[in-house]
Amino acid sequence: MKRRVEQVVVVGADAPVWMTAAAIYSSFGRGVRLRVVELPSHLRPVDVYSTLPPLAGLHNRLGLDEALLFSVCKAVPVAGQRFSNWSGAGAPFIRGHDDSPPVGGGDLSFSQLWIKGRQQGLRTAFENFSPGAMAAKAGRVPIPTERAELRSAYGYGLDAAAYTALLKHFVTGGGVESKSATIADVERDGDFISAIVLADGERIEADLFVDASGPQAVLIGRMPGTEFESWREWLPCDRMLLASGNALRPYPGFSQISAFGQGWVGLFPLQDRTAIAAVFDSREISAKDLLDKLPVLAGLPIAGEAVVSNLAPGIRQRTWVGNCVAVGESAFSLDPLDAAQLHIAHTCISHLMTLFPVEAAAFPEAELYDEIIRRTAVNLRDFQAAHYKLNRRFDDPLWDRCRDTAAPQTLQRKLDIFAARGRIPLYDDETFQEHDWESLFIGHGLIPQSYDPRVDAVSDQDQIAAVNRRLQDIVELVGAMPTIDQFLSCSPAPELTEVAHDA
Amino acid sequence: MMPEPIRDIVIVGGGTAGWMTAAALAKVIGTHNRSITLVESEEIGTVGVGEATIPPIKQFNEMLGIHEDEFVREMNATFKLGIEFVDWRKPGSRYFHPFGSYGAAVKGGVTFTNYWLRWMQSGGDPDCSHFSAEAEAARHGKFGRTSSGDAQLPRVNYAYHFDAATYAAYLRRYSERRGVVRREGRVVDFEQNGETGYLEAVTLADGSRIAGDFFVDCSGFRGLLIEGAFKAGFDDWSKWLPNNRAAAVPCETVEEPTPFTRTTAREAGWQWHIPLQHRTGNGYVFCDAYISEDEAMRLLLERLDGKPLADPKILRFTAGKRRLGWVKNCIAVGLSSGFLEPLESTSIHLIHVAILKLLHMFPHRQVNPVIVDQFNREMDGNYDHIRNFLIAHYKVTERADTPFWQYCREMSIPDALADKLSLFRERGEMYIAPDELFKETSWFAILYGQGLTPQSYHPIADALSDDELQLTMARIRDAIKRRAESLPSHGEFIQHCCAARQTVTA
Repeated sequence: MKRRVEQVVVVGADAPVWMTAAAIYSSFGRGVRLRVVELPSHLRPVDVYSTLPPLAGLHNRLGLDEALLFSVCKAVPVAGQRFSNWSGAGAPFIRGHDDSPPVGGGDLSFSQLWIKGRQQGLRTAFENFSPGAMAAKAGRVPIPTERAELRSAYGYGLDAAAYTALLKHFVTGGGVESKSATIADVERDGDFISAIVLADGERIEADLFVDASGPQAVLIGRMPGTEFESWREWLPCDRMLLASGNALRPYPGFSQISAFGQGWVGLFPLQDRTAIAAVFDSREISAKDLLDKLPVLAGLPIAGEAVVSNLAPGIRQRTWVGNCVAVGESAFSLDPLDAAQLHIAHTCISHLMTLFPVEAAAFPEAELYDEIIRRTAVNLRDFQAAHYKLNRRFDDPLWDRCRDTAAPQTLQRKLDIFAARGRIPLYDDETFQEHDWESLFIGHGLIPQSYDPRVDAVSDQDQIAAVNRRLQDIVELVGAMPTIDQFLSCSPAPELTEVAHDA
Repeated sequence: MMPEPIRDIVIVGGGTAGWMTAAALAKVIGTHNRSITLVESEEIGTVGVGEATIPPIKQFNEMLGIHEDEFVREMNATFKLGIEFVDWRKPGSRYFHPFGSYGAAVKGGVTFTNYWLRWMQSGGDPDCSHFSAEAEAARHGKFGRTSSGDAQLPRVNYAYHFDAATYAAYLRRYSERRGVVRREGRVVDFEQNGETGYLEAVTLADGSRIAGDFFVDCSGFRGLLIEGAFKAGFDDWSKWLPNNRAAAVPCETVEEPTPFTRTTAREAGWQWHIPLQHRTGNGYVFCDAYISEDEAMRLLLERLDGKPLADPKILRFTAGKRRLGWVKNCIAVGLSSGFLEPLESTSIHLIHVAILKLLHMFPHRQVNPVIVDQFNREMDGNYDHIRNFLIAHYKVTERADTPFWQYCREMSIPDALADKLSLFRERGEMYIAPDELFKETSWFAILYGQGLTPQSYHPIADALSDDELQLTMARIRDAIKRRAESLPSHGEFIQHCCAARQTVTA
């Protein structure tokens, strides 16, 4: 007597809970009975979600018009992130949101040509060969192009409260049941949740419980074998101070991620303000002292309140136990670098959709999900840990520690092979692709000692021509892109009511 | 044989130079083993343009043991944090030359101004005066003494504006109390040893003879002994510093005295504004090739901010230096050793330097020529540096609105100055020899203020990460602001500590 999964409860707060609900709702429609238990929000007006380009894919699937994000969530499209002060007084670099690896001929990565060129005296920084980085620098917005090797995309900062409200409006407008509540009890039968009991006494049974409650992990945290494994060794920051400053005009084409003695400060441009996130190690500086310095570090006066929250990067030993699956930061959590926060929810949701359970009694998908999530998380962690590991800020205790701490073995392998010959060994379930790692490593000053021997088969003339052509192509391409202001004025906002549609 | 000590010192000329010399000799060398005689004539007026000073004057007073409050009270003095230059770069411009340094030391780094230039080039406020505690206090009319114990906040360096004639009178009383003998009379002749050429005595108009074995010539421009007896020669610097006249007039004080000197560039020179407690000193320093004395006096009177308290006086001079300031047993102190216009208030300082060097190298009766050479070389260095510093004010400017300023812009300058300007233009740096009076801060203030913006800065300033740079600048700026806020107003400070006694007229 096999029974299909029919009743699904999603528990959580803020954007992740509504993203999850929206994905389930738009994928399965009335095929499942979906209920949302919305936990109290911790969002404050200063909160921001910084996102990576793939989030647009989710919005597409949901049928969420991007123009709404620009008008309702005050988003500003950014084609890259600019990292400064990570190597002390070294030059800042931009990691562009490039879509596809730049091709250097055959299956050689373009970076191979650059590495050889550099050895022969090329002085053009690597970022100049990234369409995303150059668009970001020019304050322009990438648009689709026929040239696959020149594609780039944009992410954006979203006003967290507005984005959450927009998703909620979308989900509840579609008729999904939701209730604001807190969890009083979780009734468990071994590895399975039989029901959750809300504070008002209501008891909710379901076939599948999705925990999108973030680091609180209100469901998954009570399941056996889900102990939390900390990654603080490599991602040392344990606090985030959020604040706002005035909007920067003209809008910068990038988020700015600047290291300072005890952490880093991110500036995320929004249309009506600049979200400021200072991520720091509380062993090195108090929030109060940091707040005093923040206007200087951010280069902006702070307007209004500043809010401190805790960070605890790490992962649960299991992320799917019985009929309880963790989505987002209830599964693993990271440093807010590289727009990770919403991406964690997004990637978990994508995998959950692919592995959405068929049968209500047995969940053979659980183990696979768990493996994929762990690999995804480890790869993301390594990407972030590389920022810390490769820092070149000497005599700041935090940064000295980061350099001196051995990298995770998975990361060390990438660093070693890249240092030797400019190759990135990718693992399964990588969010960031080879060109992302390349720009990260080179930007932080890790310049390969050698290059792929096949590059020598390319004549010097062809090599120089290829390098120059790419520079030229990118200049032309970026020149044709709209400025951020032009782009925003071309995306008229649809009426908000239009999104409340039936699937 | 033991060298014989000097027994009788004769100072020819009173005035600021004469009485400063007398006071210092009386205090340091004393009158118990030797005599110190100062000859002056009430018929001969003193010049006394040096009403504004620079910080080393405090060490001079300390050496004499003069209490500052008493000094300020007696001299009707006010405090001076620096000089405000108005219209120098171009009409309408303003900048401040502060005493003390810009910013603070950057640990393990280069001079602060290099970091400031980097900061400014990346978008910081181009007004460097916000990084000077003195300039910040001056802007708000504040003054106070700061102690070294307060390490969190920058110290405030200062000098004084005072009445030079009163200073001379005060030092006369001081000297006479310590055994200096003043002789009234005009020196009409001198006697030299036929063999050695050493001076042996001076003769006064009344026929009396004052013998001595060491002579200090404080007789002013004409150099009665140094030129009269020894033909020391004079280097004329007027091709670089063409000003040769000053019209001076005191006026009533109309506002609370500013804690700084103001100098305003004018069509054929510049005008000083020096606030004292009881009046304001004013003067127009000019070149008579570009404006007549009458016209200069008329313009000066027209441009006073208070009612004139006397008729303007004209002083005539030539910029330059006595070729030898010490010959045999005669040393020139003050205007007899050279003249530099009072743009940077260096006249009294040059007296101070000569006195210090004299004390440092105080000779025996048989003067060792090695000492003499050393003194002359060192004084030459002092004069040359100050001269070059003054020339820079005229050479580096955007002004070309009158023939005077056109001349200054076009004139050739000494090589040493040209080298300094070129290095500064390229990377904002200055190599300052240890005995140069004006240090990096002063050169930076003047050259940058006059419109010479360095193209770059010391490469080591790039070794600081941007966040550290921003934090450093913010921290220093904040400390300077708090320092200025912590001070009382200049007027209040004087009122509480050292107000001059009011004269009551019946």
